[in-house]
Amino acid sequence: MTDALLLLAFQRPHIDWHGIAPELVLLTAGALITLVDIVFLEKARPFTAALAGLGLLATAVPLLTLAVDGTDRVMFDGAYVVDEFSLVVKAVFLLAGYVVVLLSTNYVAEGDYWENEYYGLLLASVMGMVMMASARDLVSVFVALELLSIPAYLMVAWRKRDLHSTEAGLKYYLMGVFASAVMLYGMSLLYGVSGSTLLSDIGTSVAAAGTSTAVITMGIVFIVAGFAFKVSAVPFHTWAPDVYEGAPTPVTAFLAVASKAAGFVALLVLVFVGFYSRSEVWEPLMWILAAASMTVGNLVALRQTNVVRLMAYSGIAQTGFMIAPLAVAGHGLTNGDQALSAVVTYLAIYTAMNLGAFAVIIALSRKTGSGELSSFGGAFSYAPGLTVAMTIFLFSLAGIPPLGGWFAKFEVFRVLATAGEPWGYVLAAVGAVNSVIALYYYASLARRMWADDVPDGDHSPVPVTPSLVTALTLCGAVTLAFGVAPQLVARFTDVSLLALGG
Amino acid sequence: MSMLAAVADMDRLTSGEALVAQNVAFAVMAITMIASALRMVTTRNVVHAALYLVIVLSGVAGIFILLGAEFVGVTQVMVYIGAIVVLFLFGIMLTKGSFGEDDGVSGERRLMAGLVGLLVFGVMTAALVDSFADAELAREAPSTTAEIADSIFSAYIVPFEAVSVLLLAALIGAIVVARRD
Repeated sequence: MTDALLLLAFQRPHIDWHGIAPELVLLTAGALITLVDIVFLEKARPFTAALAGLGLLATAVPLLTLAVDGTDRVMFDGAYVVDEFSLVVKAVFLLAGYVVVLLSTNYVAEGDYWENEYYGLLLASVMGMVMMASARDLVSVFVALELLSIPAYLMVAWRKRDLHSTEAGLKYYLMGVFASAVMLYGMSLLYGVSGSTLLSDIGTSVAAAGTSTAVITMGIVFIVAGFAFKVSAVPFHTWAPDVYEGAPTPVTAFLAVASKAAGFVALLVLVFVGFYSRSEVWEPLMWILAAASMTVGNLVALRQTNVVRLMAYSGIAQTGFMIAPLAVAGHGLTNGDQALSAVVTYLAIYTAMNLGAFAVIIALSRKTGSGELSSFGGAFSYAPGLTVAMTIFLFSLAGIPPLGGWFAKFEVFRVLATAGEPWGYVLAAVGAVNSVIALYYYASLARRMWADDVPDGDHSPVPVTPSLVTALTLCGAVTLAFGVAPQLVARFTDVSLLALGG
Repeated sequence: MSMLAAVADMDRLTSGEALVAQNVAFAVMAITMIASALRMVTTRNVVHAALYLVIVLSGVAGIFILLGAEFVGVTQVMVYIGAIVVLFLFGIMLTKGSFGEDDGVSGERRLMAGLVGLLVFGVMTAALVDSFADAELAREAPSTTAEIADSIFSAYIVPFEAVSVLLLAALIGAIVVARRD
């Protein structure tokens, strides 16, 4: 009896408090917002947005001290890791979260939505993303995914008096849980093969499994399909346009950038740490997803008349570009690391430029109250600053130098071309054709804003709030800086996962 | 040899032999589950479908207990049968109109669903048999409830705490979205 008790004696886990400080600060900020709401009720409403923004900025402090410290921290036998990769993507998530708070500030207050609850959910979702960056085990990855998704499902339905918003929320929820279920089944198959939830263990047993590939292949296909839904890659993209259109626009920006980036981070960690040795399975999958997403996204975007739907399809096409390096990432360490850096670079720059574009859309919609492309006509005559900013973001999305998007696309093409694989060249060609198509619709929106007549002849200036100005400045500065001085971003995104995964 | 001795002998099995009692129990539960699952998706009455779901989920719980995973088995009963199906029934009864007969789905969709179902079933069966046909479970129970508790509060403490944040967020969000205002 004593033996049995000793056997079961509880081992206190070693927790690196500095390592999980960012998560703890975020948790505190979220709890504070909820508590302030309970204690002060309506009186707290003017301060919650500021509180949420401050919480996200405060989270950056431990992130900086961890970056200065620079040592890789490994907790729970490698289930939770703080390394360069996780710090960089955590910073991207925090920046995205902060900009979304700035975008939401007036939108949510003027719409008379449930503000305190909104910011609480937003912080919970960002916390899921921050966790995702460190998660190196199936349970952590899954819980982080749900923590970032479930608040997002609810935020999409936040404009509850609008049927479109409710429909979008329900659609996103149903498709999301279906994707989660498929992915979870795939995870259970890999757990069955390896007997461990740690990704590094799964990597080892997947590599050692030899010829019994059927279950491993099914597991990888199911997991990749689940995350392809999250990043809205074709053919798992059908939810995106409807959800983007129905959701409150700041939430759309959040989904299009942060939620997508989190899906990519999970995909990167799983591919590089978990399945790297099975490149013959995931490389063709990624190739198909990349080529299909770029082509379908761009071709359908050409025919859109609503700006949010246009951004949804352009986001699908951008997803294709981000997946593309993974299609040739399975050929050794250097090659894999280059592909990883290319994806992280693209994610960082895409975050800035896409959020910037959404900030302009939100600012202009405050005046026009419409999402139709024609309502953007002649914006230059009454909002020259916003028009210039939008042009910068659109051309950056199209990949025109010297804007950030150029460097992101360049990195993708470089990886595809240096892999020395015929399929890589083909994918690069598909990407090149798609860049031209994308330039057409981005440029035509810009032309509309510069040259067209104002549809209703109303030339009164657009009221731009300070928080929107801050958001635009942040996004614009990042987009320009990374385009003019790409070595800046390259220094941050020169990360590796393979060294850890073996 | 008496029946009792035969059963007692089963405790000393080498690989290749099988536990008859467990296999019989598994077969009974599996057949009941398959039959109920089929009835669940074919019945036109929503309440009946929910009740057939109860049978399927109890079968899952039974299989977990058969495998010695008593904690998961009991959780299955408490969460799925105790909470979720009861919620289904309340939901069905509180929403007007959908109580009772349902129109069902069109023939074309039925055909597609059947095809996809058969395809997934075929591929998964082939893959699982291919990989796990020779696999054997350890004779001792895979994990006791105490071990599960220990690992939740040590190796899985971060996801465990994250789940509590997740539940709170879901609760707050659900109230905002569902309440009348």
